[in-house]
Order: sequence, then structure tokens, then C-alpha cells
Amino acid sequence: MSPFSAHPGTLGKPLVLFLILTAGIASGITLFSSASTIADWFKTATSGLFLPILLSLIVTFLLDPLVLRFERHLHNRTLSIFAVYALLIIIITLLVSLIGPVDWKGMLDALRADFPRYFARALEYFNQLFLRLHDQIPYLENYNIPAKMRQWAEEILGIILLATPRSAMRIGSLFLLVPLFSFFFLRDSQRIARSLISLAPNRYFEMVLDIYAHVSWQLAHFIRGRILEALIIGVVVWMGLSLTDIRYAPLLGAVAGIANLLPYIGPIIGMIPGLLIALVDLGTGPQFWWIFCVYLLIAQVLLDNFILIPILISRVSNLHPLWVILAIVMGGKLYGVLGMIIGVPIASIIKITLLEVRHYRSNFSLSRDIAPGRD
Amino acid sequence: MNPFWSNIFRKPGYEGTLAYFLGTIAMFSELSPGELKILENLVHLRNYDLGETVFAEGDIGSGMYIIRSGRVRIAMKDDQGREHPQAELETADFFGEMALTIPKQRIVTATATEPTVLVGLFRADVHDTVRKHPVLAAKILLGLTQVLSERLQQAALRQREHLLSPPDHAPTEPA
Repeated sequence: MSPFSAHPGTLGKPLVLFLILTAGIASGITLFSSASTIADWFKTATSGLFLPILLSLIVTFLLDPLVLRFERHLHNRTLSIFAVYALLIIIITLLVSLIGPVDWKGMLDALRADFPRYFARALEYFNQLFLRLHDQIPYLENYNIPAKMRQWAEEILGIILLATPRSAMRIGSLFLLVPLFSFFFLRDSQRIARSLISLAPNRYFEMVLDIYAHVSWQLAHFIRGRILEALIIGVVVWMGLSLTDIRYAPLLGAVAGIANLLPYIGPIIGMIPGLLIALVDLGTGPQFWWIFCVYLLIAQVLLDNFILIPILISRVSNLHPLWVILAIVMGGKLYGVLGMIIGVPIASIIKITLLEVRHYRSNFSLSRDIAPGRD
Repeated sequence: MNPFWSNIFRKPGYEGTLAYFLGTIAMFSELSPGELKILENLVHLRNYDLGETVFAEGDIGSGMYIIRSGRVRIAMKDDQGREHPQAELETADFFGEMALTIPKQRIVTATATEPTVLVGLFRADVHDTVRKHPVLAAKILLGLTQVLSERLQQAALRQREHLLSPPDHAPTEPA
């Protein structure tokens, strides 16, 4: 078997080599497999934490300016955070007692019951459309589009039915975890960042500190802008839809706001459920066109394009459509629907970071060229 | 202040703290003990070995350094790359304060000539302070203005000397 066995005298050296190689490969495989087990453990352990941490970061970014405002007068960050929390609780209590609570859970349950009906009606509608199309373009028949759409619809329905009970169980823990995490993020984020920066070697310390300051400033603005944009769009769509007889207006507002985080295709995705429900429940009357106007003209064109984007979001964070698609696909692969939504903002964050670092580096290397004879 | 009273109000061991040390620097003389405490959390303590470069000529500067302990040599390089020492600074001296205002290239090289502990105050943190503690920021920036105008006046005086005296030696810029 071994080519070395023909020379028994020189067997020793190759054998040792062979043993070492085998041991090396074996330990490599062991390390690799154990590393992937550790990664698996890590993934399992943190899987439930992803959403609370994400929400806490969102809350932190939103509340930070408010806490800062309090801190100027109170001179104590912890106290300021408590003050902001107290203020929030008062505002929420007031709002709830004034408007009355929005029955999210009841609405979700009703939607789950209604969902198949909406899909059946939509499919019926599309079937008719395709039948008509087939008369004109017989070539389409080969593709059997209605069957494919039915398949997709069933898949989406399955995901929603599966996800709701699990997320309902999580919501309770969110109410506990999110304020807790946000509190510590608000209080200690600066300290954590400082201690991380202080690890930089002396020679690069100033550069690291400067880049960090730039990047964190840009990121805070971008993230806060995106969250506020989603919130405002959501509320406006909710208000606009509430004027009609459409059901699930708050839910549709939330969907529109969250979908708005995705550039280019987000607004269209956010529009689909609302239009679908309007079409099925209300038909193509004046109400349907009003809903269409709310989504397209008021929320998208007027509010988002002319008011929110110029004020809240800088042009720096504009991503090329190709990157948007890549970010959505990769986000979806990693974290499902949630990943699809936050993939694009994260891609923007990476872009902002890279741009800032490159900007700084170009200045830095310029100075190296100007100063002759430096080390 | 009467040393009796100042001793009562001063906590034991206060002289050893960074806040007390910062209060002894002329630039921060206007700061109250509470503000010094905040400043203490704004600055960065950095340790340097013998011969380690703090910053070099041509670097983009981002802040000033105060010497907590040790010694720092300030030097300029000529066209041939030879170093010309300008000053030897020791405990409680500070340098690099011009970078606190805008990101400009350093015009000198600073090197630790013995194991040195430096207290760094950087532009990013001062900007942050403007938003968080405007009064403190104003006091720091006032102190900085005083230092800078003193330096400017010195430079102007020196330039006048050069103009009035016969040009028998090459002019040297202040550090």
C-alpha cells in the first residue's frame, strides 16, 4: 500500500512524516468540526436574542438624543435615562387611555382567519386574468403561472401560520428584555466603545479615535433617520387608511413602514397587502383609489421623496440597486424575513463605514506624501 | 484659600487623582471639581515606552497631550530629514493643542525620551462635550483660546525681533 514499504531501511523517516501528517489532518478535522459545533451552539444560544437586541438598538438610537437633552440639565446619565423612561411610560399611558388600545392580537388572529380568503380571491382574480391573457398570448400556457402562484401563496401562508404562535410567545419576553437592554446600551455604550478604542496601539490611536467618531456620528444619523422615516410613513398610512372602511389599518400601516426600509421595491411590497385587502373587501370603488393614493402619492411621493428623505437621510447612504438586491438575498438566507428587512440598512452601514475610512485614509496618506523623510 | 478649609473639603487621596492633576494645568484652571470629574472621563491615558513616537510631523493631528509623568522631546525635521530638537517637555507640560481646533498636519515630531504616561484630550471628545456639557466645553475652549493666543503673541513677538534685528541667522518657527 505504501510506496515506502519497498525500502525497509528508510521506513522510519517517512513513517514519522506520515504519522505527523495524519495527526495534523485529524486534529485539523477535529478542530474544524468542533469549531462548527461551537458555532452551532453559539447560534442556538443567541437565536432568541437577535430580535430583542435589534429592537433594543433601535430604541437606543431613538432615545439617545432625548437622554442627551435631559443629561444637560440633570448632569447624570443614569438619572436621565430613568427620566426618559418615566416620560415614555406617561406618554404611552396617556395615548392608550385617550385612543384606547389597538387590539393587535385580535387583529392578527382575524387576519390569520381571513388570510386564506384573501389569497383565494386574489388567485381567482389572477386566474381570470390569465385565462384572458391566454386567449391573446397562447404561448403563456406553457408556464402554468397560476399554479406556481398558488404554490407560493401556500408557502407564505405556511410561514405566517408557523411564525405567529412562536412570535406571540416571544412578545412577552420582549417587553422585559428590550427596556433592560436599551437601558444598558444607553448608559454604557460610550464606555464600551472607549475601552475598545483604547486597545488601539499608540501610533494609530488618534486615527482610530477620529474614524470612530466620524463613523459613529454618520451611523447614528442614518439609523435614526431610517427608523423615523419608517415610523412616520407607518403612521401616515395608518391614518390615511383609517379614513376608509378597510380593516387592519394599523397592521397595514406597520407593514408599509417596515417595508419602506427596503429601497426601490420596499414601497411596492408594502402596498400589496393593503391593495389586495381593499380589492377583495371593498372592490374597485372610490375607496380603493383613495387607498391607492394614500400609498403612492401621499406616503411615497409627497412625504417620503419630498420631505423625509431630504431631511432625514443623506445621499451618502444611497446604495446601487444591485447591492440592494444582493443585501436582500443574503439577508434572507441568513435570517429569513427579518434578515431581508434589515439586510439593506446593514449594507448601507457597511458602505458608510468604508467610505469614512477611505476618506480618512486618503487624507492620511496624502500627509505622508507631503512630509518628506518620515518614518 | 486657607489651607485648613481646603483640606477639609478635599477628599483623602484627591491629590493623586487624575482630576486633581488636570486642575493644576493652566488650561483647565477655570473648571470646578465636578467638571474636572467629567473631564477625567473624557481624556485618554496612554503609556509610551522610551523612544516611542507620540506623533510624527505630517500626521493628521486630532488632539493635545498633557504629560502626566515622563519626558517628551519635540523636534522638527529639515529638508534632509535631520531632526532638530525644539524643546524637552516634562510633567504637567502640554503639546499638540493646535490640533484640538481643526484636523491639520502636525508640524513637529513628539517622542517619549523615557517611559511616559500621557493624558490625551481629543477633538472628537471635545465636540461630544459641546453637545453634552456646553458649559464645560466653553470653559475648555476658552482655556484653549488663551493658550493659543499666548502662543500667537509669542510668535508675533519673535517675528518682530527677526524683522528688527539684522538677518544674520536663519529664522526658526516656534514649536
